[in-house]
Amino acid sequence: MRQTILQGLEQAYGNLVHMIADFLPRFLVMLIIIVLGLLVAFLLKYILRIVLSVTKLDQVSEQAGASGILRAAHLPSMTALISRSIFWLTWIGFILLGLSVLGVASLQEQISRLFQFLPEVFVGMLILFVGLMTANFLSRAALLAGVNAGHRSARIVSWSIRFLIWILTISMTLEELGVARQTVISAFSIIFGALMFGLAIAFGLGGQDLARKALEKYLGDTPQKEKDKEPQPL
Amino acid sequence: MAEDTILADDLIRQLISVGEVDLLVGISSQSNAIAASHAFHAIEQSFQKNFTRQRAVIVNVRGGDADGSDASGPVLGSSEEKSAPLATSLRTVHRVTADFSVLPSPGLALRTVLTAADLLRARACAMVSPGTSDLTPDRIANLLTPVFREKFDFVAPLYSRHKFQGLLARNLLYPMSRALFCCGIRELYSDEWGFSGRLASACLSQDVWHEESIQTRPEAWMAISAISNDFRCCQAFLGQRLQPATSPGPDIVEVFRQTVGNLFWCMESRQSTWLDCKRSEPVQTFGPEHELTSERTDLDPHRIFEMFRNGVAELGPILSSILDPETHAEINSIVASEESTFRFRTDLWVRTLYDFAASYHHAVINRDHLVQALVPLYRGMTYSFLMEHADSSATELEAVNESLCAEFERQKPYLMEKWNAKIEVKS
Repeated sequence: MRQTILQGLEQAYGNLVHMIADFLPRFLVMLIIIVLGLLVAFLLKYILRIVLSVTKLDQVSEQAGASGILRAAHLPSMTALISRSIFWLTWIGFILLGLSVLGVASLQEQISRLFQFLPEVFVGMLILFVGLMTANFLSRAALLAGVNAGHRSARIVSWSIRFLIWILTISMTLEELGVARQTVISAFSIIFGALMFGLAIAFGLGGQDLARKALEKYLGDTPQKEKDKEPQPL
Repeated sequence: MAEDTILADDLIRQLISVGEVDLLVGISSQSNAIAASHAFHAIEQSFQKNFTRQRAVIVNVRGGDADGSDASGPVLGSSEEKSAPLATSLRTVHRVTADFSVLPSPGLALRTVLTAADLLRARACAMVSPGTSDLTPDRIANLLTPVFREKFDFVAPLYSRHKFQGLLARNLLYPMSRALFCCGIRELYSDEWGFSGRLASACLSQDVWHEESIQTRPEAWMAISAISNDFRCCQAFLGQRLQPATSPGPDIVEVFRQTVGNLFWCMESRQSTWLDCKRSEPVQTFGPEHELTSERTDLDPHRIFEMFRNGVAELGPILSSILDPETHAEINSIVASEESTFRFRTDLWVRTLYDFAASYHHAVINRDHLVQALVPLYRGMTYSFLMEHADSSATELEAVNESLCAEFERQKPYLMEKWNAKIEVKS
């Protein structure tokens, strides 16, 4: 009996030593990969920051209206955002690589799934960003055109355009990520359809006079009185 | 060489058959055939009357007929007449046609004319547009004579106008360009001007012809090129400008894009010139310097004020990203004033424009949007001008314009400071 217990303990101790002897080198390799990843990520961030500063990306971003979106979302400048994103992406990549060295079967499966999902996340983020930028640009263009043409509802039109593009962008992003795909498409179709239907009814029934005037103006049946009463600029 | 790339073989053949010339008039036949025909007749009459001994050529730049009519008109329309010389008292007037498949842009039309002038070694040239003014032989002569006889290199036109016509030129383009480039050319943006062969060659050698600003309004760039390179500039009075005091004309936003956007672009591309220039020099003028008329008009100042007030309110966030906070606050405070007592002070107007110019340079928002955002503020200035000068005489208006020019010059250091400031990007 005593012999059996001692043998059991010896075997357990042996297994533990074997496990530690097996795990420790892997753990050290993981730590080395993570530290190396940290250094590489720092280096990439530094190089990218210099390159983006030289190419004046912040200025281009400001001009395109992207910086405005970032400020509204309390995010840093475009250069800082891109360089920080690259830092984290690189480092997370190295961390996952390090974790996979440990050889934990369930962890490896999760990491593999995460790696498969990353491109979709990246594309989703790109769609979201381009969509928000487009919404910003087009709504500002509509606002300026409306205001300069003397329309009183310029801001409403501008916000409608922004809102529609937001809905479209968010739907596309969620669809890309595969989040409740059918629900998102149905919700988008319902919201968009309802909005257009509502506008059509409102414009057709509530604003018959306005519709007539607008059509007359754009089809050129009546002179543009407002325009006629401004002095010639040149 | 530029002519290698833009002149068609047919055009080169026509130019070779013409040989060297003393005078060249370029005409862009983008308007209707009747106006083009009238323009050719006026040019030929001008040559016969004023330059009887000189070799002359008319270069007609025309494109595929967009409206179904032949843009060159009956005079040059038939193929047998193309490039045929006209008999005059002592010399022949040649006609050359540059055909394009589509209507050439003003920039391309000018480039074609400059290339022809360079090839033919023309001494005095003029560019005219038949659709926008009543061309007479005397007008053509007034554009060519200062170059041909007085050795000037650039001749800007001067017109007799209604006192409320051309307020963008009077309150923005002229005083601002005068303060910046130190040369008081009143009509930087016009469809007719004169230039020397020397200036034509100098302009041709510049690598700017692909720029959108040059494609749409090349004339101001040509004037500023002449000023920057110490060519001799002058102005010549041409008479009445044939436009009603009020629209319909081109859309005001389009006018702003083509003129204010173009001026800002010239500031950007010629910054070494204007940053070094200290004080404006007077420009020699042939004929009266200004002539204003004051018939009754059907302007609607109330509507203009409403558009200004509404514009400033709606564009608040855009204006705040363009204007200095102090300037924006002052504009917001004058917007709140009563319509009857509203005045847009000249110092505020100048500061506003300089803020816009600096923001254009730093590209704080899309540049086209930035230029459009200036339109409501211009309307405010226009309303203020209409109210203040309803009964002012021509002499009084000239004095007001001089003081505005002085204000632009006084505040130039403010612009330079803003221009050279590092753009702050929040991070």
